[in-house]
Amino acid sequence: MFLTALTFLPLLGALAIALLPSADEKKQRIVALATTIVVALLGVVLFAGFDGSSASLQYIVDSAWFALPGAASIPIQFSLGVDGISVLMAVLTALLMPIVILSTWGHIDKRVKEFMIWMLVMETGMLGVFLATDLMLFYFFWEISLVPLYFIVGIWGGERRLYATVKFFLFTLAGSLVMLVGVIWLIYQSKTSNIAELSDFAAALSGTTQGWMFGAFTLAFAIKVPLLPFHTWLADAHTEAPTSGSVVLAGVLLKMGTYGLLRFGIGMFPEAAVTWAPLFMGLGAIGIVYGAFLAMAQTDIKRLIACSSVSHLGYVVLGMFALTQAGLRGSILQMVNHGLSTGMLFLLIGMIYERRHTRAIDQFGGIAASMPMFAMFFVFAVLSSVGLPGLNGFVGEYMILLGSFQASPFWASLAVLGVIFGAVYLLSATRRVLFGPLIHEANAKLTDMVPREIGMCIPIILVSVWIGVAPNTCLGKLDGSIDQLVDRLDGARVALELSNREQEPKLALQLAPKKGQAR
Amino acid sequence: MNPNDLDFDLLLTPGAWTALWPMITIALGLMMLLAAEVVSSLRPFRSIFFLATLGVAALFELRILAGPESLTDTGGIVLGGALVADATSAVWGLIFLIGTALAFSYSTAYYSGSEARYKDEHDILMLTCPLGMMMMAGAQDLVVFFLGLELLSIPLYILAAYKRSDSKSVEAGLKYFLLGAFSSALFVYGSALLYAELGSVSFGGAAAALAENEMGSLAMTGVGLIVASILFKISVFPFHVWVPDVYQGSPTPVTALMATGTKAAAIAFLLNAFFLLPSSAANLIAVLGIVTMAAGYFGALVQDDLKRMLAYSGIASAGTVILVIAGALANPESLDAARTAALYYIGAYVFTITGAFGLIALFERDGQRFTRLTSLAGLATKRPAMAAAMTIFVLSLGGIPATGGFLGKWFVFSVLVNANMIGFAVIGAVLSVIALAFYLRIVITMWMLPADEAHPIPGADRPLIAGVATAVCVAGVILTGILPGLFI
Repeated sequence: MFLTALTFLPLLGALAIALLPSADEKKQRIVALATTIVVALLGVVLFAGFDGSSASLQYIVDSAWFALPGAASIPIQFSLGVDGISVLMAVLTALLMPIVILSTWGHIDKRVKEFMIWMLVMETGMLGVFLATDLMLFYFFWEISLVPLYFIVGIWGGERRLYATVKFFLFTLAGSLVMLVGVIWLIYQSKTSNIAELSDFAAALSGTTQGWMFGAFTLAFAIKVPLLPFHTWLADAHTEAPTSGSVVLAGVLLKMGTYGLLRFGIGMFPEAAVTWAPLFMGLGAIGIVYGAFLAMAQTDIKRLIACSSVSHLGYVVLGMFALTQAGLRGSILQMVNHGLSTGMLFLLIGMIYERRHTRAIDQFGGIAASMPMFAMFFVFAVLSSVGLPGLNGFVGEYMILLGSFQASPFWASLAVLGVIFGAVYLLSATRRVLFGPLIHEANAKLTDMVPREIGMCIPIILVSVWIGVAPNTCLGKLDGSIDQLVDRLDGARVALELSNREQEPKLALQLAPKKGQAR
Repeated sequence: MNPNDLDFDLLLTPGAWTALWPMITIALGLMMLLAAEVVSSLRPFRSIFFLATLGVAALFELRILAGPESLTDTGGIVLGGALVADATSAVWGLIFLIGTALAFSYSTAYYSGSEARYKDEHDILMLTCPLGMMMMAGAQDLVVFFLGLELLSIPLYILAAYKRSDSKSVEAGLKYFLLGAFSSALFVYGSALLYAELGSVSFGGAAAALAENEMGSLAMTGVGLIVASILFKISVFPFHVWVPDVYQGSPTPVTALMATGTKAAAIAFLLNAFFLLPSSAANLIAVLGIVTMAAGYFGALVQDDLKRMLAYSGIASAGTVILVIAGALANPESLDAARTAALYYIGAYVFTITGAFGLIALFERDGQRFTRLTSLAGLATKRPAMAAAMTIFVLSLGGIPATGGFLGKWFVFSVLVNANMIGFAVIGAVLSVIALAFYLRIVITMWMLPADEAHPIPGADRPLIAGVATAVCVAGVILTGILPGLFI
């Protein structure tokens, strides 16, 4: 019941807002904020009550939904639950949302009612994705969560919003629909839709089949993350989205991709994951460096942060597909970190955009003089993003590099280069925006952050410092689930080894006569 | 059978009466409507007669659905093997009745001027349609099917041309009539060829003859002609070219009925006459389905008239639903699943497409019947409820979850996947992305473009009955989307 309430409370809030008169914008904002705050509090309760040492699902909700027709009627359950991986994602979502809603005070002034409805619907969708333990239910939430952002970017976005939003929608949908075929195949083959049971079934499939299914699933997630060849939608969507949309996109929606890679790509098809891990590590590491280069070339500060997202998510994928304890833990922690630090950067950029209505870096410079408070927060967010020891980013990046070095020293070394590049573009952008002489007169009279804006950033800062100083609060929640995942991966490695050994003599036999013929 | 041997007592068993009551009700309702035309004091109650007739017929269908003993004894086959009345045919019947009721609700306020004066003719013709559809879906005999087909088609030809002063409507009627007549002729010729070889036009007789002998080339040609004529009705490639013109020109409520009823009844027939199809045709039909989807979606991309867009989307839906036949041919065990998939897909589709066409009908009602895509611009700010309803319909057509369209698509694809036709399923899935590209254009126009001040959206009051119909459509789309357990 707890998780059902958590998931559908935002939807209830959306319904309540729909019933309010459309002229009464203040009430709509308050209902939205109150709903998200209640959800955030529930999220904290969930986090505190979760037992990290156990690998089993907790807070389970399980009731019959319907049965797929056919010779063997397959039950589809409405089932929710959390394990170590999903608890962090769900709590991150719940905590970010009130901040996002609060940020809309500054930049959403038309069609407020619709905006709040879409935001709350999106929260339900995102929480559903992380909490669903039934594959069909997961897919439901997965596709539903596309729709609200489509509207948010399309209605409240920047100049090229229509192009950006359609691109976003079609890119992600293309991947999802290929996954849909995979989902259907898997459910009808295994006669179950329960993710835990499916994982056992899928892990026992032959290597080739696993490879195909792995491909069908990871394509959808790789587009969502986005991994290297699919990253082009992200910069457009981020640039055109309103601030709040960007925060949700960077903070949570992209995490749905990495979460999917972990839960389904690795968790369901471990053999295929072991086989294809080098490819993903490579894509991740190249993404880190490539994203950093992209970011260096940007003149628009928001686009710069969007490109840095590509780079940061490269770390997540690199660490994840290292398939080691440290790598996996680091990558999950880094998902949270990225949500916090990039989310905060987008919030801050939104604030100066609201004041100056431009995002071009050369339009700024020296605003630390007129906005000292802003400068402090901005520097904090940048340092957290580049991974200064003592802040959250450092812990995640360090663990990822440690874990991936065990798996592939080459890609890990490349990723280390990315750390340096990351510092280069973020710090230089900071310098160009905040410091130096005040070139533009308009910047001299900027008002500093107001209490509402400070209030939005304080919780993020607190959590960032906390993770930086005492990462075990979060990492401890992962123990059981990651141990189980690593066991599964070890099993898959052994199975792969065995099947390779069986094939080798055959190969030798096949090769031998050919040599004979050649003579 | 020699006519002299007919023994009506043997034919009209209690089961036969149960099976016939829905059709008898409609026939009686038709007579009531005719009477109402003559007796002027009854005229105000025409709409109530119409809807009540459908309601009573629906109750009789529900009785069939409950599976009374008189029917289950014979597997639902009654009237000496001419008609089937089982759960499947009952659900088809309910779909037809709902579709007709919804289309009628939108038609009440649609016509104006001289068109409104002849509205009683319109209603009578419209009420004949579900009768024809029921016969088509229940037919176990080619002749019975043909009767149903004509009973449906002839009223539709007239209805298509109902806006006599509008040249497009007349053109639509003429086109529909010529091509429909052509397809009927194909059907009759095919039936004759089949009869020449198998010596029977009833499915039972044909199946018995086929059990003894392989199907010869004569009968095969017959089957080919019959299937071609059905594909005409369903609007499957390469027999789909008439659809956009006819859908665009016909009065919009009639288009809604055409888009759902004809397609549904013809698919029902294909599933009934399944045994006639050679299993080697699986790939051919799958290819036809995929090409139809592509033709529909790509065709829709370049349209800027709403009715034409939805017509192309209807073509694509026909392509989608025909895939279940391919899947069932490749994997005969999945015939039941294919039937459920087709029923579910079309059931959800009726709510979706009738709602969409109905909303368009409401726009047209105000002033100059404009149906261009751009006339929807800014709808969300002017009429948010209408825009929201339209968005739900469009998302359902695009197959986004929490709508019936998603589950319909899921069931259709699952039939394909279970028949090991994964390649076709993947192509179909990728084509759906193109579909979304044009469905999103509708959403963008409504929500993200500013209102066109030159063509303001009229704020006329909406007839209550159309509002109720829209609410029913929205509820139907959502319920089929999130609580499929209610319907399966």
